[in-house]
Amino acid sequence: MAKRELEEISAGSMADIAFLLLIFFLVTTTVEVDAGIGRNMPLKVDVTDPPPPVDIHDRDILEINANSKDELLVEGRLTAFEDLEDIVREYYTANMETETNPRMPRYTQITPTLCQQKIAQINQSFAANPEDMVIKAELENWKAKLELCQSLPEKSYPEISKMAIIRLKNQAGTTYGLYIQIQNVLKKIVNELRIEYCDEVWGKDYFALKPDDAEDADIISKLRILVPERIIEAKIDR
Amino acid sequence: MGKFNKGKKRGVPGVNTSALPDIIFMLLFFFMVATTMKEFDYQVEIIKPEADQARAIENKDMVDFVYIGFPVDKNQGTEARIQLNDALAPGPGSVIPWKIEQTRPGMTPFDIVTSLKVHKDVGMRVVSDVKENLREIDAIKINYSADERN
Repeated sequence: MAKRELEEISAGSMADIAFLLLIFFLVTTTVEVDAGIGRNMPLKVDVTDPPPPVDIHDRDILEINANSKDELLVEGRLTAFEDLEDIVREYYTANMETETNPRMPRYTQITPTLCQQKIAQINQSFAANPEDMVIKAELENWKAKLELCQSLPEKSYPEISKMAIIRLKNQAGTTYGLYIQIQNVLKKIVNELRIEYCDEVWGKDYFALKPDDAEDADIISKLRILVPERIIEAKIDR
Repeated sequence: MGKFNKGKKRGVPGVNTSALPDIIFMLLFFFMVATTMKEFDYQVEIIKPEADQARAIENKDMVDFVYIGFPVDKNQGTEARIQLNDALAPGPGSVIPWKIEQTRPGMTPFDIVTSLKVHKDVGMRVVSDVKENLREIDAIKINYSADERN
């Protein structure tokens, strides 16, 4: 009997097998992306709040209530969720150019002259009590507005009423899903307006702005003045 | 010239591929080892809500995660529970000591964003309680976790 030589196992396909495994792992590995909607809650203050200013008009407040059955009550009226987006958009834009809806917040035109007047006024009262943080904040506020005016091509901008506030109220049984949907709509409208401004004034993509970049951070802070986001969350009904 | 090359075929010699499987295997092992599925087991079931305005969290090291959902272990009941690190918390009040413990050196609870990962069917009572407790210690930066797709 002839001695048979053992044949060597071909390792040529080893690479292919390893490749297959590699591709399998590459495809099945899903890196979980954490995404979300960022919000800042108001700071807790120890001092008793001053009584709310009397000049809050009904038109300035957009009241959104969600009950335990996940029904929406907007401005006291039962509303389908699909309509919320249009209502919020109307709330922000109705009177932006011209006064069209007397039930929505008023806009005033902010001009450099107005800013300078205000700054001069506040400077006087600031000189009288330099310790007052509220006056100081107000002064900074107007200085920022003046800077904003000067950086705009029209040198002025329409500003939504200072008292324009969206009030969000839930019940204990309101689902988190609905709450996020509402927050999403509020964010969406604000983003829409900011995207528009950002493109028109600076020619940049709002979502491409980097908060770490000094120039971009400046634009972001200006957009926050142009389109403020004021949401108050009332304590939930139990 | 011709003298030396006589009888030999000229051409580029083939690249030796015998080390290729080893290289590929190394890559494979790298991916197998580097792939961490998740840091700890979820004690609560969470189906995140969807929101098209959700933005990816950029600096994950500066974020604490609070999980609120329905317990996986049915002995824990069917009410929504809060998970901090890898254990269920007895109540919303546990958020305060937990958040303080998480504080990075040289920082305050104010500096670190708290991401709330909440099941979409959970009632707002628990979420609201957690938020109120976070507010007590000035941890006011909140990120409501949601899936981007819509």
